[in-house]
Amino acid sequence: MKFSDETLKAYLEGNLDGDEANAIEEAVETDPDLEQRLMALDPFAPVVQAVFEHVPAKAPHVDLPEYRTAGAVQHGAGLWRLLAVAASVAIIAVSATFWATRPAPMGWAEQAAIYQSLYAPDTIAGLDNSPQALETQFALAEEQLGRSLKREALEALPGMELKRAQVLSFKGKPLVQVVFADEQGQPFAFCVIRQGEGAPNKGVKQAVLSGLATATWAQDGYGYMLIGSEAQTDLGGQLDLLTTTFAG
Amino acid sequence: MSVLTPRARSVNGKHTQVAIYSMGGEISSEQAVRGAIQMHSKRVWRFGLALSGASDVADDLLQSTCLRALERHHQVTTYDRLDSWLMTICRSIWLNEVRARSVRKAQALSVTPEAELIASGPDAETNIFAAEVFTQVMQLPEAQRETVMLVFVEGYSYRETAALLEVPIGTIMSRLSNARQKLKNVMQHDAADAVRRSGK
Repeated sequence: MKFSDETLKAYLEGNLDGDEANAIEEAVETDPDLEQRLMALDPFAPVVQAVFEHVPAKAPHVDLPEYRTAGAVQHGAGLWRLLAVAASVAIIAVSATFWATRPAPMGWAEQAAIYQSLYAPDTIAGLDNSPQALETQFALAEEQLGRSLKREALEALPGMELKRAQVLSFKGKPLVQVVFADEQGQPFAFCVIRQGEGAPNKGVKQAVLSGLATATWAQDGYGYMLIGSEAQTDLGGQLDLLTTTFAG
Repeated sequence: MSVLTPRARSVNGKHTQVAIYSMGGEISSEQAVRGAIQMHSKRVWRFGLALSGASDVADDLLQSTCLRALERHHQVTTYDRLDSWLMTICRSIWLNEVRARSVRKAQALSVTPEAELIASGPDAETNIFAAEVFTQVMQLPEAQRETVMLVFVEGYSYRETAALLEVPIGTIMSRLSNARQKLKNVMQHDAADAVRRSGK
Protein backbone atom coordinates (compact mmCIF):
# COMPACT_ATOMS: atom_id res chain seq x y z
CA MET A 1 0.00 0.00 0.00
CA LYS A 2 1.17 3.55 -0.71
CA PHE A 3 0.99 6.10 2.05
CA SER A 4 1.17 9.82 1.36
CA ASP A 5 3.54 12.06 3.33
CA GLU A 6 0.46 13.64 4.92
CA THR A 7 -0.73 10.27 6.17
CA LEU A 8 2.72 9.45 7.54
CA LYS A 9 2.93 12.83 9.29
CA ALA A 10 -0.51 12.27 10.80
CA TYR A 11 0.70 8.89 12.04
CA LEU A 12 3.84 10.42 13.56
CA GLU A 13 1.79 13.09 15.29
CA GLY A 14 -0.58 10.46 16.68
CA ASN A 15 -3.54 11.67 14.65
CA LEU A 16 -4.47 8.47 12.82
CA ASP A 17 -7.02 6.01 14.09
CA GLY A 18 -5.98 2.58 15.24
CA ASP A 19 -6.59 0.71 11.98
CA GLU A 20 -4.69 3.16 9.83
CA ALA A 21 -1.82 3.25 12.31
CA ASN A 22 -1.70 -0.55 12.37
CA ALA A 23 -1.62 -0.64 8.58
CA ILE A 24 1.47 1.58 8.56
CA GLU A 25 3.19 -0.39 11.31
CA GLU A 26 2.58 -3.65 9.51
CA ALA A 27 3.79 -2.25 6.20
CA VAL A 28 7.05 -1.03 7.78
CA GLU A 29 7.96 -4.59 8.75
CA THR A 30 8.53 -5.48 5.13
CA ASP A 31 9.28 -2.08 3.63
CA PRO A 32 12.60 -0.43 4.54
CA ASP A 33 11.85 2.50 2.23
CA LEU A 34 8.71 3.30 4.17
CA GLU A 35 10.77 3.06 7.35
CA GLN A 36 13.26 5.58 5.97
CA ARG A 37 10.46 7.95 4.96
CA LEU A 38 8.91 7.77 8.41
CA MET A 39 12.26 8.42 10.07
CA ALA A 40 12.91 11.39 7.81
CA LEU A 41 9.46 12.91 8.44
CA ASP A 42 9.51 12.43 12.21
CA PRO A 43 9.21 15.92 13.73
CA PHE A 44 10.33 14.71 17.17
CA ALA A 45 13.65 13.14 16.24
CA PRO A 46 15.59 16.35 15.36
CA VAL A 47 14.35 18.14 18.47
CA VAL A 48 15.31 15.34 20.83
CA GLN A 49 18.58 14.84 19.01
CA ALA A 50 19.50 18.52 19.33
CA VAL A 51 18.95 18.34 23.09
CA PHE A 52 20.98 15.19 23.65
CA GLU A 53 23.63 15.62 20.97
CA HIS A 54 26.07 17.44 23.22
CA VAL A 55 25.41 15.27 26.27
CA PRO A 56 27.95 14.72 27.70
CA ALA A 57 29.71 17.95 26.77
CA LYS A 58 33.18 16.39 26.87
CA ALA A 59 34.26 12.93 25.86
CA PRO A 60 33.88 10.82 28.98
CA HIS A 61 36.98 9.38 30.56
CA VAL A 62 37.65 5.67 30.18
CA ASP A 63 40.47 3.80 31.91
CA LEU A 64 41.79 1.04 29.71
CA PRO A 65 44.70 -1.30 30.33
CA GLU A 66 47.67 -0.39 28.19
CA TYR A 67 48.00 -1.81 24.76
CA ARG A 68 50.52 -4.63 24.51
CA THR A 69 51.83 -5.33 21.08
CA ALA A 70 52.39 -8.93 20.19
CA GLY A 71 56.09 -9.71 20.00
CA ALA A 72 59.00 -7.63 21.20
CA VAL A 73 59.27 -4.08 20.06
CA GLN A 74 62.72 -3.47 18.71
CA HIS A 75 64.77 -0.92 20.50
CA GLY A 76 64.77 2.33 18.57
CA ALA A 77 61.82 1.27 16.50
CA GLY A 78 59.56 1.67 19.52
CA LEU A 79 58.40 5.18 18.77
CA TRP A 80 57.61 4.33 15.18
CA ARG A 81 55.75 1.29 16.28
CA LEU A 82 53.71 3.36 18.68
CA LEU A 83 53.02 5.94 16.01
CA ALA A 84 51.91 3.21 13.64
CA VAL A 85 49.59 1.82 16.28
CA ALA A 86 48.24 5.29 17.01
CA ALA A 87 47.72 5.93 13.32
CA SER A 88 45.95 2.65 12.74
CA VAL A 89 43.73 3.10 15.78
CA ALA A 90 42.86 6.55 14.51
CA ILE A 91 42.14 5.22 11.07
CA ILE A 92 40.03 2.32 12.21
CA ALA A 93 38.10 4.67 14.47
CA VAL A 94 37.42 7.03 11.61
CA SER A 95 36.54 4.17 9.32
CA ALA A 96 34.25 2.58 11.89
CA THR A 97 32.17 5.72 11.65
CA PHE A 98 32.47 5.84 7.89
CA TRP A 99 31.29 2.30 7.59
CA ALA A 100 28.25 2.72 9.76
CA THR A 101 25.51 2.54 7.19
CA ARG A 102 23.25 5.49 7.55
CA PRO A 103 21.07 7.26 4.99
CA ALA A 104 22.44 10.81 4.61
CA PRO A 105 25.96 11.24 3.22
CA MET A 106 28.39 13.12 5.40
CA GLY A 107 30.08 16.20 4.05
CA TRP A 108 33.80 16.83 3.94
CA ALA A 109 33.64 19.16 6.93
CA GLU A 110 32.05 16.51 9.16
CA GLN A 111 34.62 13.95 8.14
CA ALA A 112 37.50 16.38 8.59
CA ALA A 113 36.17 17.19 12.08
CA ILE A 114 36.00 13.51 13.00
CA TYR A 115 39.56 13.04 11.84
CA GLN A 116 40.74 16.13 13.68
CA SER A 117 38.93 15.07 16.87
CA LEU A 118 41.42 12.21 17.15
CA TYR A 119 44.35 14.63 17.37
CA ALA A 120 45.95 15.10 20.76
CA PRO A 121 48.85 17.36 21.74
CA ASP A 122 51.14 14.33 21.39
CA THR A 123 50.04 13.84 17.79
CA ILE A 124 51.68 17.07 16.77
CA ALA A 125 54.37 17.51 19.42
CA GLY A 126 56.94 15.42 17.60
CA LEU A 127 56.31 16.54 14.03
CA ASP A 128 59.29 17.77 12.04
CA ASN A 129 58.38 21.33 11.19
CA SER A 130 61.77 22.44 9.98
CA PRO A 131 61.66 24.95 7.10
CA GLN A 132 62.80 22.20 4.70
CA ALA A 133 60.07 19.80 5.78
CA LEU A 134 57.39 22.48 5.51
CA GLU A 135 58.76 23.57 2.15
CA THR A 136 58.30 20.07 0.75
CA GLN A 137 54.87 19.61 2.31
CA PHE A 138 53.56 22.94 1.09
CA ALA A 139 54.90 22.38 -2.42
CA LEU A 140 53.08 19.05 -2.61
CA ALA A 141 49.90 20.43 -1.05
CA GLU A 142 49.80 23.47 -3.31
CA GLU A 143 50.38 21.33 -6.36
CA GLN A 144 47.48 19.06 -5.41
CA LEU A 145 45.17 21.95 -4.65
CA GLY A 146 46.23 24.02 -7.62
CA ARG A 147 46.52 27.17 -5.55
CA SER A 148 48.80 28.91 -3.07
CA LEU A 149 48.33 28.20 0.63
CA LYS A 150 49.91 31.55 1.55
CA ARG A 151 52.37 30.00 3.93
CA GLU A 152 53.70 33.37 5.14
CA ALA A 153 50.20 34.34 6.27
CA LEU A 154 49.73 31.00 8.01
CA GLU A 155 53.09 31.27 9.76
CA ALA A 156 52.14 34.74 10.94
CA LEU A 157 48.93 33.64 12.68
CA PRO A 158 49.21 34.96 16.22
CA GLY A 159 49.80 32.35 18.91
CA MET A 160 50.04 29.50 16.41
CA GLU A 161 53.04 27.38 15.52
CA LEU A 162 52.81 25.84 12.07
CA LYS A 163 53.37 22.08 12.36
CA ARG A 164 52.54 20.35 9.12
CA ALA A 165 50.65 20.46 5.84
CA GLN A 166 49.23 17.10 4.86
CA VAL A 167 47.46 16.03 1.68
CA LEU A 168 44.27 14.06 2.28
CA SER A 169 41.43 13.34 -0.06
CA PHE A 170 37.64 13.40 0.13
CA LYS A 171 35.65 11.67 -2.61
CA GLY A 172 38.53 12.09 -4.99
CA LYS A 173 38.98 15.79 -4.21
CA PRO A 174 42.28 16.96 -2.77
CA LEU A 175 41.90 18.08 0.83
CA VAL A 176 44.81 19.70 2.60
CA GLN A 177 45.01 19.80 6.37
CA VAL A 178 47.40 22.37 7.83
CA VAL A 179 47.91 21.69 11.49
CA PHE A 180 49.17 24.13 14.13
CA ALA A 181 49.96 23.96 17.83
CA ASP A 182 48.44 26.74 19.89
CA GLU A 183 50.23 28.27 22.88
CA GLN A 184 49.21 25.32 25.06
CA GLY A 185 50.36 22.81 22.44
CA GLN A 186 46.77 21.95 21.52
CA PRO A 187 46.12 21.02 17.89
CA PHE A 188 44.42 23.55 15.65
CA ALA A 189 43.70 22.91 11.99
CA PHE A 190 43.00 24.81 8.81
CA CYS A 191 41.69 22.71 5.94
CA VAL A 192 41.23 23.56 2.28
CA ILE A 193 39.44 21.38 -0.25
CA ARG A 194 39.27 21.90 -4.00
CA GLN A 195 35.58 21.62 -4.80
CA GLY A 196 35.84 22.56 -8.43
CA GLU A 197 34.52 25.41 -10.49
CA GLY A 198 30.83 26.01 -10.09
CA ALA A 199 30.76 25.03 -6.41
CA PRO A 200 28.58 27.60 -4.64
CA ASN A 201 30.14 30.30 -2.48
CA LYS A 202 29.10 30.05 1.14
CA GLY A 203 29.39 32.55 3.96
CA VAL A 204 31.13 31.69 7.22
CA LYS A 205 29.21 29.17 9.29
CA GLN A 206 30.29 28.15 12.77
CA ALA A 207 29.25 24.86 14.30
CA VAL A 208 30.44 22.30 16.82
CA LEU A 209 31.29 19.11 14.94
CA SER A 210 32.58 15.97 16.66
CA GLY A 211 32.97 18.03 19.80
CA LEU A 212 35.20 20.67 18.16
CA ALA A 213 34.49 24.30 17.35
CA THR A 214 34.60 24.73 13.57
CA ALA A 215 34.05 27.43 11.00
CA THR A 216 33.50 26.72 7.31
CA TRP A 217 33.14 28.85 4.24
CA ALA A 218 33.50 28.40 0.50
CA GLN A 219 34.63 30.68 -2.24
CA ASP A 220 35.62 30.40 -5.87
CA GLY A 221 35.66 26.63 -6.01
CA TYR A 222 37.46 26.03 -2.71
CA GLY A 223 36.04 25.07 0.67
CA TYR A 224 37.77 26.24 3.86
CA MET A 225 37.53 25.07 7.42
CA LEU A 226 39.00 26.01 10.77
CA ILE A 227 38.93 23.45 13.57
CA GLY A 228 39.68 24.27 17.20
CA SER A 229 40.91 21.87 19.86
CA GLU A 230 37.58 21.74 21.71
CA ALA A 231 33.96 22.83 21.49
CA GLN A 232 34.66 26.09 23.31
CA THR A 233 37.69 27.19 21.27
CA ASP A 234 37.31 30.82 20.20
CA LEU A 235 38.09 30.89 16.49
CA GLY A 236 37.42 34.62 16.15
CA GLY A 237 40.88 36.12 15.62
CA GLN A 238 42.20 33.43 13.26
CA LEU A 239 38.91 33.35 11.41
CA ASP A 240 39.03 37.06 10.62
CA LEU A 241 42.61 36.81 9.39
CA LEU A 242 42.04 33.71 7.31
CA THR A 243 38.77 34.80 5.72
CA THR A 244 40.55 37.97 4.66
CA THR A 245 43.62 36.09 3.43
CA PHE A 246 41.61 33.50 1.53
CA ALA A 247 38.91 35.73 0.11
CA GLY A 248 39.20 34.53 -3.44
CA MET B 1 23.56 26.01 15.10
CA SER B 2 23.87 22.31 15.07
CA VAL B 3 20.21 21.50 15.46
CA LEU B 4 20.06 19.74 12.14
CA THR B 5 23.44 18.12 12.14
CA PRO B 6 23.12 15.04 9.97
CA ARG B 7 22.00 12.23 12.19
CA ALA B 8 23.34 9.80 9.84
CA ARG B 9 26.75 8.94 8.75
CA SER B 10 27.58 7.33 5.55
CA VAL B 11 30.53 6.66 3.66
CA ASN B 12 32.93 6.90 1.16
CA GLY B 13 34.15 3.49 2.06
CA LYS B 14 36.50 2.75 -0.75
CA HIS B 15 38.86 5.49 0.05
CA THR B 16 38.99 4.60 3.68
CA GLN B 17 39.65 0.97 3.09
CA VAL B 18 42.59 1.87 0.94
CA ALA B 19 43.87 3.99 3.78
CA ILE B 20 43.55 1.08 6.16
CA TYR B 21 45.57 -1.30 4.12
CA SER B 22 48.20 1.15 3.07
CA MET B 23 48.72 2.92 6.37
CA GLY B 24 47.56 0.61 9.11
CA GLY B 25 48.78 -2.68 7.79
CA GLU B 26 47.16 -5.50 9.70
CA ILE B 27 44.78 -4.12 12.25
CA SER B 28 44.18 -6.43 15.16
CA SER B 29 40.73 -6.83 16.63
CA GLU B 30 42.06 -5.27 19.83
CA GLN B 31 43.10 -2.16 17.94
CA ALA B 32 39.73 -2.04 16.25
CA VAL B 33 37.93 -2.30 19.58
CA ARG B 34 40.14 0.39 21.11
CA GLY B 35 39.38 2.63 18.16
CA ALA B 36 35.66 1.99 18.49
CA ILE B 37 35.77 2.81 22.20
CA GLN B 38 37.52 6.08 21.51
CA MET B 39 35.07 6.88 18.74
CA HIS B 40 31.84 5.94 20.45
CA SER B 41 32.42 6.64 24.14
CA LYS B 42 29.98 9.55 24.11
CA ARG B 43 27.22 7.47 22.54
CA VAL B 44 27.71 4.61 24.96
CA TRP B 45 27.70 7.03 27.90
CA ARG B 46 24.51 8.64 26.61
CA PHE B 47 22.90 5.24 26.23
CA GLY B 48 24.01 4.42 29.78
CA LEU B 49 22.33 7.62 30.91
CA ALA B 50 19.14 6.70 29.07
CA LEU B 51 19.13 3.25 30.66
CA SER B 52 19.98 4.30 34.19
CA GLY B 53 18.81 7.89 34.42
CA ALA B 54 21.91 8.85 36.41
CA SER B 55 25.20 10.23 35.18
CA ASP B 56 27.35 8.45 37.76
CA VAL B 57 25.80 5.12 36.75
CA ALA B 58 26.43 6.08 33.10
CA ASP B 59 30.13 6.62 34.00
CA ASP B 60 30.30 3.13 35.53
CA LEU B 61 28.41 1.53 32.66
CA LEU B 62 30.73 3.07 30.10
CA GLN B 63 33.82 1.92 32.00
CA SER B 64 32.51 -1.63 32.42
CA THR B 65 31.36 -1.77 28.81
CA CYS B 66 34.79 -0.78 27.51
CA LEU B 67 36.64 -3.27 29.69
CA ARG B 68 34.22 -6.03 28.72
CA ALA B 69 34.55 -5.17 25.03
CA LEU B 70 38.32 -5.26 25.29
CA GLU B 71 38.23 -8.65 27.02
CA ARG B 72 36.09 -9.93 24.17
CA HIS B 73 37.92 -8.34 21.27
CA HIS B 74 38.77 -11.76 19.87
CA GLN B 75 35.04 -12.34 19.30
CA VAL B 76 35.00 -9.50 16.79
CA THR B 77 34.96 -10.85 13.29
CA THR B 78 34.00 -7.72 11.41
CA TYR B 79 34.83 -4.13 12.26
CA ASP B 80 31.54 -3.02 10.85
CA ARG B 81 29.02 -1.80 13.41
CA LEU B 82 31.21 -2.01 16.46
CA ASP B 83 29.04 0.81 17.80
CA SER B 84 25.96 -1.43 18.08
CA TRP B 85 28.12 -4.15 19.58
CA LEU B 86 29.23 -1.72 22.32
CA MET B 87 25.61 -0.66 22.89
CA THR B 88 24.56 -4.29 23.24
CA ILE B 89 27.30 -4.95 25.80
CA CYS B 90 26.33 -1.82 27.72
CA ARG B 91 22.70 -2.86 27.86
CA SER B 92 23.50 -6.39 28.90
CA ILE B 93 25.70 -5.14 31.77
CA TRP B 94 22.90 -2.80 32.81
CA LEU B 95 20.23 -5.50 32.76
CA ASN B 96 22.26 -8.26 34.35
CA GLU B 97 24.58 -6.53 36.76
CA VAL B 98 23.70 -2.94 37.54
CA ARG B 99 19.99 -2.37 37.21
CA ALA B 100 18.78 -4.01 40.40
CA ARG B 101 21.00 -1.91 42.61
CA SER B 102 20.58 1.33 40.66
CA VAL B 103 16.87 1.55 40.11
CA ARG B 104 15.98 3.27 43.35
CA LYS B 105 18.66 5.85 42.84
CA ALA B 106 17.70 6.35 39.20
CA GLN B 107 14.10 7.05 40.09
CA ALA B 108 15.21 9.74 42.47
CA LEU B 109 17.51 11.38 39.94
CA SER B 110 15.69 11.02 36.67
CA VAL B 111 13.01 13.51 37.57
CA THR B 112 15.54 16.32 37.88
CA PRO B 113 17.59 17.03 34.80
CA GLU B 114 21.19 17.49 35.72
CA ALA B 115 21.68 21.04 34.62
CA GLU B 116 25.27 20.65 33.53
CA LEU B 117 24.27 17.90 31.12
CA ILE B 118 22.17 20.16 28.98
CA ALA B 119 23.97 21.96 26.23
CA SER B 120 23.61 25.68 26.63
CA GLY B 121 21.68 27.25 23.82
CA PRO B 122 21.78 30.80 22.54
CA ASP B 123 19.15 32.12 24.95
CA ALA B 124 17.28 31.34 28.14
CA GLU B 125 14.09 30.25 26.38
CA THR B 126 15.98 27.72 24.30
CA ASN B 127 17.61 26.39 27.44
CA ILE B 128 14.30 26.09 29.25
CA PHE B 129 12.85 24.23 26.30
CA ALA B 130 15.88 21.93 26.12
CA ALA B 131 15.55 21.22 29.84
CA GLU B 132 11.86 20.37 29.38
CA VAL B 133 12.56 18.00 26.51
CA PHE B 134 15.43 16.44 28.48
CA THR B 135 13.21 15.94 31.52
CA GLN B 136 10.36 14.55 29.48
CA VAL B 137 12.62 12.02 27.75
CA MET B 138 14.21 10.98 31.04
CA GLN B 139 10.77 10.51 32.60
CA LEU B 140 9.64 8.09 29.91
CA PRO B 141 9.43 4.45 30.99
CA GLU B 142 12.77 2.71 30.52
CA ALA B 143 11.72 0.76 27.40
CA GLN B 144 10.55 3.92 25.64
CA ARG B 145 13.55 5.87 26.83
CA GLU B 146 16.13 3.45 25.43
CA THR B 147 14.19 3.26 22.15
CA VAL B 148 13.95 7.05 21.81
CA MET B 149 17.67 7.36 22.51
CA LEU B 150 18.67 4.80 19.88
CA VAL B 151 16.32 6.02 17.15
CA PHE B 152 15.98 9.77 17.68
CA VAL B 153 19.41 10.58 19.08
CA GLU B 154 21.75 7.95 17.67
CA GLY B 155 19.93 7.57 14.35
CA TYR B 156 19.57 3.79 14.33
CA SER B 157 16.75 2.58 12.09
CA TYR B 158 13.71 0.87 13.60
CA ARG B 159 15.06 -2.41 12.26
CA GLU B 160 18.53 -1.94 13.77
CA THR B 161 17.01 -0.88 17.07
CA ALA B 162 14.70 -3.91 17.09
CA ALA B 163 17.72 -6.17 16.57
CA LEU B 164 19.74 -4.40 19.26
CA LEU B 165 16.94 -4.56 21.83
CA GLU B 166 15.80 -8.00 20.70
CA VAL B 167 12.14 -7.07 20.22
CA PRO B 168 9.92 -7.05 17.10
CA ILE B 169 9.99 -3.94 14.93
CA GLY B 170 6.30 -3.34 15.75
CA THR B 171 7.24 -2.98 19.41
CA ILE B 172 9.81 -0.33 18.50
CA MET B 173 7.17 1.59 16.56
CA SER B 174 4.58 1.43 19.32
CA ARG B 175 7.14 2.52 21.93
CA LEU B 176 8.00 5.49 19.74
CA SER B 177 4.31 6.34 19.26
CA ASN B 178 3.76 6.33 23.00
CA ALA B 179 6.85 8.44 23.58
CA ARG B 180 5.75 10.95 20.92
CA GLN B 181 2.39 11.37 22.67
CA LYS B 182 4.20 12.40 25.84
CA LEU B 183 6.75 14.61 24.10
CA LYS B 184 3.97 16.31 22.17
CA ASN B 185 2.75 18.10 25.29
CA VAL B 186 6.10 19.79 25.85
CA MET B 187 6.52 20.72 22.22
CA GLN B 188 3.02 22.04 21.73
CA HIS B 189 3.46 24.13 24.82
CA ASP B 190 6.63 25.52 23.33
CA ALA B 191 5.01 26.14 19.95
CA ALA B 192 2.18 27.99 21.69
CA ASP B 193 4.77 30.13 23.48
CA ALA B 194 6.45 30.93 20.20
CA VAL B 195 3.14 32.01 18.66
CA ARG B 196 2.36 34.16 21.66
CA ARG B 197 5.77 35.81 21.52
CA SER B 198 5.59 36.50 17.82
CA GLY B 199 2.11 38.00 18.29
CA LYS B 200 3.41 40.64 20.69
